[in-house]
Amino acid sequence: MTSMTETVPWEGAWEEGGPLGVPLVDLLDRVLGTGVVVSGDLVIAIAEVPLVRVSLHALLSSVNERVPAPWADGGPL
Amino acid sequence: MTAAPCTTDASTVTDACSATDACTATYIFAVCRGGDPAALEGLAGHAEGAHVRLLPVGSFTAVVQDVPADRFSEEAVRERLSDGAELERCARTHHAVVCAAARCAPTVPLPLATLYLGDERARTALARREQRLHAALDRIEGRAEWSVKAYAVPGRPDAPGPAGRTGGTSAPAAPAAPSSAGSGAGRAYLERVRSRKQARDHRQETALRAAERVDTALRDLAVAARRLRLHGPGPDGDRRTQVLNAAYLVAEGRESELAAAVGRLRQQAEADGVRIEVSGPWVPYSFVDGGDTDDLDD
Repeated sequence: MTSMTETVPWEGAWEEGGPLGVPLVDLLDRVLGTGVVVSGDLVIAIAEVPLVRVSLHALLSSVNERVPAPWADGGPL
Repeated sequence: MTAAPCTTDASTVTDACSATDACTATYIFAVCRGGDPAALEGLAGHAEGAHVRLLPVGSFTAVVQDVPADRFSEEAVRERLSDGAELERCARTHHAVVCAAARCAPTVPLPLATLYLGDERARTALARREQRLHAALDRIEGRAEWSVKAYAVPGRPDAPGPAGRTGGTSAPAAPAAPSSAGSGAGRAYLERVRSRKQARDHRQETALRAAERVDTALRDLAVAARRLRLHGPGPDGDRRTQVLNAAYLVAEGRESELAAAVGRLRQQAEADGVRIEVSGPWVPYSFVDGGDTDDLDD
């Protein structure tokens, strides 16, 4: 029987404030485009598709090909 | 025509900087209501800033950090966030503070890189949105966000087409007869191409229908639901096609129901060539805006 915990790699990290295990793509979905938009003196239009896509590609390829994952436990990716 | 001077927010920041002795901007992570956020003071936050501190704004407490304005000008932020490692560091730092805040009090996370030229401006902006912030806090209090994604598992390249299903047309996958090598081989090739395309279309339709079933079932458990933008294929060899990227706002205490539902849906989806992935609980980032949320409550 498949349990949900198999795909919640960071369960338990919640209490320790250890967001390192959070799936990065899911995190970016959330911190970039959403939240209450409060117009700041400086609000960056980073939710636009092209930049996010480019950044994600740069990020994923750097994690997977060039450098070891920057977190200790091997990471979720 | 003379070259127009480039007036940007970045230059605004710089101007404001030269006018004050401290070149700092106020970076807001989140806004809390009630609770006991005192424990947040002194968190490290972004490496180039001072410690995280609390900024009272009316009935709220904003979780903020003084950061060097030049490191957070529009240009600087854009550049940093285009760098994969830097983007990850910023996002994880932001998220760490947001999570810490959410453990202390009901919390509305603000998007990455929400900055103001000083506390007063930050206060003014937040005060202007007091109603919306209250509405957001009312919506998310006692609830958590769960991320559910579904992927169509790629078919094997040599998988047989749906010839049996489509009936009618013959499927001459066998080698062409020697006597008609030219046109026979050509037709066989076209048939193979067509049958592969049909198989692909069929898999895709099946996967999309499966995704809709998953979404419908999970909405029953959720207070609100939101479909996020689908991810394209990654550059890391992940050839799966994402068919669902959704967020569900679920009352605390119903996690086991969610887990059970996902378990059932998974078995069904597996048969349709679809894999379901879940992560959570998240601070309800996707449900504080009020804009695109489909409220299922009323």
